[in-house]
Amino acid sequence: MTRGRPIASGRVGIGLHLPHVSEIAAARPRLGFLEVHAENYMAETPALDRLLGLRRDYPVSLHGVALSLGSAERLDHCHLMRFKALIERVEPMLVSEHLAWSAISGAYLNDLLPLPYTEASLDLFCRHVDEAQEGLGRRLLIENPSSYLRYRDSTIPEAEFMTEVAHRTGCGILCDVNNVHVSASNFGFDPLAYLDALPIEAIGEIHLAGHRVAEDVGILIDDHGARVAEPVWGLYAAALRRFGPVPTLIEWDTNLPTLEVLLNEARHAEEAHRYVDAA
Amino acid sequence: MPKRRTDMSTLLELQMRLRRAVLGGDTGEIVAAIQGDGLDPAARVGIYRHHAFTTLGDALQTTFPVVCRLVDKRFFAYAAHEYLRQHPPHSRCLVEYGADFADFLARFTPCEKLPYLADVARFEWALNIAATVGEAAPLHAETLAAIPPGKAAYVALRLQPSLSYFASPWPIDTIWQANQADEVPPVDLASGGASLEIRRVGEAVSWRRLDLGTFAFRTALADGLVLAAAMSAATFKDPAFDLTVALRQVFSEGLAVDFGRPGSTSRIRELATERQERPNSSTRSHYATTNDMRCWSLQL
Repeated sequence: MTRGRPIASGRVGIGLHLPHVSEIAAARPRLGFLEVHAENYMAETPALDRLLGLRRDYPVSLHGVALSLGSAERLDHCHLMRFKALIERVEPMLVSEHLAWSAISGAYLNDLLPLPYTEASLDLFCRHVDEAQEGLGRRLLIENPSSYLRYRDSTIPEAEFMTEVAHRTGCGILCDVNNVHVSASNFGFDPLAYLDALPIEAIGEIHLAGHRVAEDVGILIDDHGARVAEPVWGLYAAALRRFGPVPTLIEWDTNLPTLEVLLNEARHAEEAHRYVDAA
Repeated sequence: MPKRRTDMSTLLELQMRLRRAVLGGDTGEIVAAIQGDGLDPAARVGIYRHHAFTTLGDALQTTFPVVCRLVDKRFFAYAAHEYLRQHPPHSRCLVEYGADFADFLARFTPCEKLPYLADVARFEWALNIAATVGEAAPLHAETLAAIPPGKAAYVALRLQPSLSYFASPWPIDTIWQANQADEVPPVDLASGGASLEIRRVGEAVSWRRLDLGTFAFRTALADGLVLAAAMSAATFKDPAFDLTVALRQVFSEGLAVDFGRPGSTSRIRELATERQERPNSSTRSHYATTNDMRCWSLQL
């Protein structure tokens, strides 16, 4: 065995899924980090032990999907405490959540539902980010959502909303480049202008993922179930040029491929980093 | 502040409308708030609705794979859909979703031709609990032995949090096991019921059939009854029930993790210490609290 060899290497990580755990533990591929959905590790399952095992070799990023920071009600304190307990065990390199809501009045809908972008929702969202950062004892990165609907009442462009949240709360931004592409395509805005509107100093991580086209309605769906699409790689290069060498995650959550396919995607992202470094 | 309250109630109302549209499918209340952007707003809501139902349905299928196999995937998706509408998850951890799915199936008329289906769901839920709850450090038998003999009958034990006790008139474990194979072997449904103990052992989930006396004893302990009451329950099922043997097994199998009721734990420890220090002392205060007596009388 080659224990002691530095495994963590580079700036690109992959989402960790159960079917790949043994292979990663055995092959110990060179990766910048591993990222998991925090909610999948809040129970005392053997999966948590395996994650803590891999944590010895790789930095881990905890990506929350259910804190529901945009809910027009109190944050779920119990969930916040479970998240905090997990952070204490995993000691993650990054902790992130979403600009979205997913639970209201006791029902958790397991989706990242959109907020109207208004002064009122901005105040509420910032209060919740403050409360979450206080409760978790960690700075959060907030991810831009992929959207399929916009509200008539929205008055603030999303990138401006994200920027204001970062400005008021001190949180960072997780820029999901695929989400920018998906939303830009669905609503017909310029994705590069969106990237340009985000504050460089706040960007703490980039997500890359695949999407699919819902032919019947002519909409892009962010399903994390395919290779990163060509236009998204192009947008990623632009993001790296603007934001610098930001840690990047390859997300793949449905139609899970072999580990080799994921690692190839990660290598592709590393090449983009090198290309931008050289330039 | 009043303005903020108004804004919040507007946002809350919007979110409640979208919740009703996602869960109930009636988009009438929400469409006016959504921009068309070249597509029917209801179709836009449908994308979120589809995602919520697909992923939550998948979560249920992961927790209840044999139920799904018994009814086939399409029917399971239909049952899951109805369940989701009526019982959306409270917990944001999906492994914790489905606690009352078995009760739902028991009342779900389209399933009435499969009378054992709800119990298969109960069994799979117990397996899920055991898979998601870790083992606690077991209590040593000496701790109980240190309690004065006259008091031990009124001690309650707290058992491993991963434990479930579950009895069915159907051979649920056999049905479950048979459905692990590609080709399901025939199961004799008339072969009788099963009284099962399901628990976590290290990284594994284990289950076993218990004899009626042991099952009644352990179920009573799990329900928080004191030893005397648990013994009474066991003897009722099995007149030859042997408390000493049964207790030894509870401890040797690492089932007990603490004394019951946090309030009484310190008193038990105190009694145990008293006995070690002054073996002949008569106890001044009585340990048998009203609660314990109530447990006892419930058994009668």
